[in-house]
Formats: sequence, structure tokens, C-alpha cells
Amino acid sequence: MSKILSINNLIYKVKETNLFTSKEKTILDNISFDINRGEIIGIAGESGSGKTTIAKLITGIISPSSGTIKFELINNSNSVQILFQNTGQILNPFRKIEDIIEEAIKLRKNLPEEIENEKEKIFSSVNFKREYWGNIGSNLSGGQQQRAALARLLAVQPELLILDEPFSAQDFESKKTLVELFKSINEKFNVTLMCISHDLNALRDLCKRVIIMYKGKIVEIGNTKEVLADPSHAYTKYLIKAEKYNLNHSELLERID
Amino acid sequence: MLKIDIKEISIKKHTENILLLKNIKFDLSKNKIFTILGKNGTGKSTLIKSITKLLDNNIYKIIAEVLWEGKDVYKVDYEELLKIRANYIKYIFQDAINSFDHFKQFGYYFNKFCKDENEISDLLEYFILPKKEKLFKMYPYEVSGGMAQRISLVLALLTKPKLLILDEPTSGIDSAIANLMLLKLKDFATEKGNSVLLVTQDILFAQKISVEIAMLKDLTLSTFYKTKEFFNKYNSELLLVND
Repeated sequence: MSKILSINNLIYKVKETNLFTSKEKTILDNISFDINRGEIIGIAGESGSGKTTIAKLITGIISPSSGTIKFELINNSNSVQILFQNTGQILNPFRKIEDIIEEAIKLRKNLPEEIENEKEKIFSSVNFKREYWGNIGSNLSGGQQQRAALARLLAVQPELLILDEPFSAQDFESKKTLVELFKSINEKFNVTLMCISHDLNALRDLCKRVIIMYKGKIVEIGNTKEVLADPSHAYTKYLIKAEKYNLNHSELLERID
Repeated sequence: MLKIDIKEISIKKHTENILLLKNIKFDLSKNKIFTILGKNGTGKSTLIKSITKLLDNNIYKIIAEVLWEGKDVYKVDYEELLKIRANYIKYIFQDAINSFDHFKQFGYYFNKFCKDENEISDLLEYFILPKKEKLFKMYPYEVSGGMAQRISLVLALLTKPKLLILDEPTSGIDSAIANLMLLKLKDFATEKGNSVLLVTQDILFAQKISVEIAMLKDLTLSTFYKTKEFFNKYNSELLLVND
């Protein structure tokens, strides 16, 4: 299987400055992993474990303190896209969704023959109904905004699409539909997906492979079903128990600060 | 302990009313944890707010009868209603942080509700919160959402209510904290005459905590099923772990 991305010994540090002192804090500590072309990979971990920082480093929003991020892309522009958590803030609230998508399609190097058909294909693949095409961004519900933002990202034909906590603030039914939707996008558009989420349940359904992060380090990586069925690291075990609310008070005392 | 019979709740508009909930009838008995599951926008919060008449009469049209130990919440005089709200039925809302006045330190609330210092310390310790000397001097903007939620649960428990009503207790907090609340709520429900009603969309939380669950959809509430029966019935609609 060919790789789309390989990350080697990635370190990310920030400086914490007080009035008199300044010290370095390590956010990501020696992260290495590969993403294969066409796969769906998940990144799990608690808040503050550095999940979103990885996404920001991959997309070049911030630069690493040391280490390398190597892409093997076919096109060189617009190939890596990220769907942020707060989709409401991505869409222009005053423009028609239809126009936003059309503009994005025109950004491509090879324009499709029928823009109208292409629009139809993208909208239908994210289940965005025609009756909302003419709506402006601020007139959509949270779920619709998310789907519209996803359509905007797909319109530029990305090779790698990063999803940052797509399941937060979704109810159980939308969660299920969203998992199916990501799977179908992965096949239909031939796009590699990296899904960041603390929702192990959703990742179990969506991803072949999963990375478990804890305090800026990768503690476990492997086949999702195997990792979650037979975790080797204590933190993964804790995470699985916590998700099912199976912890007792003394186990909790150790973890919460 | 509580009998609820809601014929209709709707929002008043100039020309017509928009129906939100209809024909909801259920009883809550003692020493049980009840859960109402429902998707976004089905009216879960509206339903629980109607229980102690918290909905604004100018905005909502409500035809309901809520009997608390035989007294109709919608018919008793205002003072009696305040008494029920203060002593028996307590809420923990979703955005717990906004339940507090941002210009008052937490000490204000604790001193108001409870004189027993040991009881406060024990609960703070249980919920892994700062010691009371420190916490009492803090303002609401200094704590995280998860902390605010734990503090409001501690405050609610200190007043020794008979019924605790929680709105989406697991949203926006990590699962460890939710786990901690779950343990305490289970303890609370085993004490004499207490009960818990919660609304949530967190299926695993509901499965773990509830004695009986009902589904809110299409404007109305199903009957309360025993947790196991509920999941047998609704299995296909819910995304569940299959192991």
C-alpha cells in the first residue's frame, strides 16, 4: 500500500512566559506514524492530549519545533483539507452555499465539463438537499452547516481530508448517519480520511486503524477492533472503561486533577 | 411521588401556535433513575422545565397537570410553588456555569444553602474539587464547564432534594467527570425516597445509569421501559457497541 503521509519524530513545544520566568512546555513528544493512501485512520485521546495540534501541524497552520512531515501527493495544491470543529465559523454567513461550492469547483486545475453536474454530485454525496442550496450560511442548522462545509472541502478534490471532532454536538442518529457518510465519501471521492475524535464508539465503526494519544505521546497504534478489544497500554484500558462509565471512585481519583 | 400529565405545550405566535409536545403522561416513583432519550430539538429541555412551571406563560401555552405528592404544581399558589422548587425538586442545567451570578463568589451559594461544614468538605472531596477555603473565593469565570457542573451538583445535593432533574449531564464534559457524577447519582437514588430524572442523548450513559428509559420523538413520549427492554426495542435506531 502506498503512503500519502509519513510523520517522523515530530516535536512541538511552546514557551510559557510569566512575568519573570519562561519555560518550555512539550505539547507533542516524538510522534511518528504513516498514513496509507485511501485508508480511514482515527486519532483518539482525551482533551489536551494533542490531537488537534497534529492536525494543525499537518495542514501547516503551525510549524513543528523539530521532525518531519512528508507528503506523497499527486496534485500539489489544495490536496490537504481540514474540517474544523466549529463549522459555523468557516462558512461565510452572508453568501449562498451554492455560490461558495461553485467557486470552489472553479479553483480546480482541470475544470469539469458540467459544473452543474459536479455540484449535484457533491451535494448529494453529503446529503445536502436542493431546497437549501440557495440558503446563506447563517440560515442553516449546525448539522447542515457541517455538511455544507464538507461539500466545500470536497469541491477542491482533496487527497487527504482531516476531520476534527466531527461528532461533537451530534445526536445519536446523526452520528450514525455521519459515520456512513464519511465511509461513502472515502470510497466515492477516493480521499484518505484522518478522523480526530474522543468518541471511541464512533471511531470503532469508522476507522480501520486507530492511534491512541496520551499527554502528547502515541501510546498505541493499530487495527481499531484489535486495539479496542485487547488494549496493551494502561491508558487505553482506562479510556475504554471511562467511555462505558465503568470506573470506580478510586480509579477516577488518580486521573482527574 | 410525581405524576405528570401534559396535554399540550406550544409556543404562542401572532396568528397560530406551534405545537411542541402533546399527550405526555408518566409517573415517577421513588428510588429509581429515569432517563428520557431524544434527538436534538425534540423538546427534552422544554419537557423537564415544564415540570416545575419554569416555562414563561407569555411565550408558551401549557395545558398540563403535574402532581407533586398530590399537589398540582400548576394550581398551587406562588409561595407553595417556590417551596416545592426550593426543597424538593432541583435542577442541574446543561450550561451550569450560567446558573451562577458572575459577580458572586461560590462561597455566597454554599453559605446560603448549608451550615454543615463537614458535609460540604466531604462532597467537595468526593467530586475532586478544590478545598472550600479556595473554592469559596473563586468566581464562576475561573472554573471550567466540568467544574461548574460538579459545583452545581454539590449545591443541589446539599439542599437534600427528593427529585434531581438533570439536563444533558454529559455534554461538554469528559467521560471521567461524567463517570464520577454517575456514581454519585446512583448513590443518591438509593437513599430514602429519592429519585433522579435525566434527559440525555448519551446512549451509553443512559444504559449504564437508568432503571427505566423512555424515548421522546414526534412530539410525544413513549412509555418508560426497563433499561434492557428499552434497548431491545430501540436497538436498530441507536448506534451501539456490539460486543
